[in-house]
Amino acid sequence: MNGWGYVVAAYVGSALLYGTYLTWLLRKERRLERSTGDLQPR
Amino acid sequence: MSTETLPALDEGLADVRPTARAPYRRLLGGATIALFAVLIPMALLWAPMDAKQGNPQRIFYIHVPAAWIGFLAFFVVFVGSIGVLRTGKRRWDDIASSSAEIGTIFTTAVLITGPLWGRPVWGVYWTWDPRLTSYLLLWLIYVSYLVLRGYVPEPSRRARYSAVLGIVGFLDVPIVYLSTRWWRSEHPTQFVFERGGLPTAMLITLLIGIATFTVFYAYLMTVRVRTGRMQEALDEEVFA
Repeated sequence: MNGWGYVVAAYVGSALLYGTYLTWLLRKERRLERSTGDLQPR
Repeated sequence: MSTETLPALDEGLADVRPTARAPYRRLLGGATIALFAVLIPMALLWAPMDAKQGNPQRIFYIHVPAAWIGFLAFFVVFVGSIGVLRTGKRRWDDIASSSAEIGTIFTTAVLITGPLWGRPVWGVYWTWDPRLTSYLLLWLIYVSYLVLRGYVPEPSRRARYSAVLGIVGFLDVPIVYLSTRWWRSEHPTQFVFERGGLPTAMLITLLIGIATFTVFYAYLMTVRVRTGRMQEALDEEVFA
């Protein structure tokens, strides 16, 4: 792997990690919004 | 020690009732996207290639900001944990646990990008260098923090146990930071802001990276804290 290969792997790997976590978090939030829909926000 | 001997952690459901989305959340999300759109071309194209390390040095612009957020997140865990033990308020536990989870994600990113930078520069993906070893220990401490929370179902006990670990675990942060000065280390030392350190274009790119990751962390915290409160409210509804 040449120098750019490591750079691409690092940037893509990081993007996948952050993207996966953010997607999981937002989906969980949406699911909880539906589940707690009867609770009034403060 | 029985549950009854522990002081009440919060004022009940009223304290954890879900909040509306923070008004500034959309702004933080938009700023995160805009800053990443600036950072990536700067890091990959605009910043000059390092004369010694070549293009792999460009990993620096996402590696160092992620490490900074790891420290910041665990400082927030430390402060939140003190808040839990001093006040017993559940909102401190919300902040500490959210920051621990996000901090673990960023430290994981550091442990991914570091070896990918080390391999072309040092010739190995990993070495038991003081900085790398103490950083791996930091990651393990906060993974333990999250595992501990998963194993203690009672909220008051969970908050206090994890607060103790959050405070003790933070002691590793200054050890990580100073490890390159205390022991012989192959890891680059803190030369960034020193005179004759980083060239201007590299420094600007790094500062944009730190700003980007800080705003991203703030955005994730707004989502994660709200999600945690909604989960707690739901649990209390179910088990009431």
